[in-house]
Amino acid sequence: MNENETHLKVQALVDAELTGREAEDLRARIETDDGLRELHERITVVRGLMAGAELPRTLPESGDFHWSKIAQSIEHGERDAGHPAKPTPGVNRWLRWVMPLAGAACLVLLLTLQLNAPPDLGILLGGDHELELTDDEIDIMTFNTADDAMSIVWLDHSIDLHQDRLKLWLD
Amino acid sequence: MPEKPAYSSAEEPQLVEWAKSGDMQAFEELVARYRDRIYVRAYSIMRNEDLAVDLSQHAWVKAWQRLEQFHGEASFPTWLSRIVTNLCLDELRRQKRARMDSIEAMEEATGPVENRMEIETIDPIEGLSREELRERIDAALAKLSDKHRTVIVLYEFEQLEYREIAEKMGTSIGTVMSRLFYARKRLASLLKETLKRDGFIE
Repeated sequence: MNENETHLKVQALVDAELTGREAEDLRARIETDDGLRELHERITVVRGLMAGAELPRTLPESGDFHWSKIAQSIEHGERDAGHPAKPTPGVNRWLRWVMPLAGAACLVLLLTLQLNAPPDLGILLGGDHELELTDDEIDIMTFNTADDAMSIVWLDHSIDLHQDRLKLWLD
Repeated sequence: MPEKPAYSSAEEPQLVEWAKSGDMQAFEELVARYRDRIYVRAYSIMRNEDLAVDLSQHAWVKAWQRLEQFHGEASFPTWLSRIVTNLCLDELRRQKRARMDSIEAMEEATGPVENRMEIETIDPIEGLSREELRERIDAALAKLSDKHRTVIVLYEFEQLEYREIAEKMGTSIGTVMSRLFYARKRLASLLKETLKRDGFIE
């Protein structure tokens, strides 16, 4: 062991980081070596000086202002992360699983309704032309275009009154 | 749910429990109790008022977000202190990446030679109050490099073991020992210098 390593071990002994046989051997060496004994004493003094030496300080801004910034950051963080306003661990864990499932279920339901339950208006889709249908209660006009993959249904009780506007729109 | 007493008179564990259940007022009370302590630790490492305030604030926000992880193994302020210390170390790493720390690199390179130099003896100082001595130690700490000051703060103030310091600083235990030795030697030397200058010692 070189001198440098020995010095570091003396420090470790002072810091109670050296234990067992190694510590006993070093203690024995220190007793017979003036240089090591002096080093041990000096490190001990520095340690003693440092105990509780952290200077107390006061936050250089008002407590209310400090808190307002913290509260704002917490709220922003939660809003940005899409978290609820309060950290409710149990609920969070539960929501983590339920939210995506609920979202997926809503999507499936929406698609199912759209695909399986078309409005029973007797309109034949697929033509690229205007259809006009009437029943007892309402007038229905449908515009369907395959190119744009779009169908527009127009319902009106008094189609005659809106003929001009409708014509304008269709033009 | 039992009625809550005034927050200012509530015990710390109770406040922590309330805060865990989302009570911001309980958390505000915890901030009021420990804000100076957390700031002091951040300042001890960073030696920059604005950065220390920002990092303290960040530590409180992190604490709120991680309250679930606090199970009371250490005291609440100790747990908080670990959070702010980690943030300070991250900040120092970020700063280090942003600049070449050539002076510290030199100090590290000359470490083994310096380590052979003796640590100054500081005898009990007459006529100097504990408070005055603390101020001088604080001034000496401010003159250390980031690495040496950090290792002193982590060991002496944060009371971490060599192994824990090595983990936090991302280095070996041997390097921690070497840095601590050099930091103490430099600190003793700076203290002796100032005490001599002011006539407290010859």
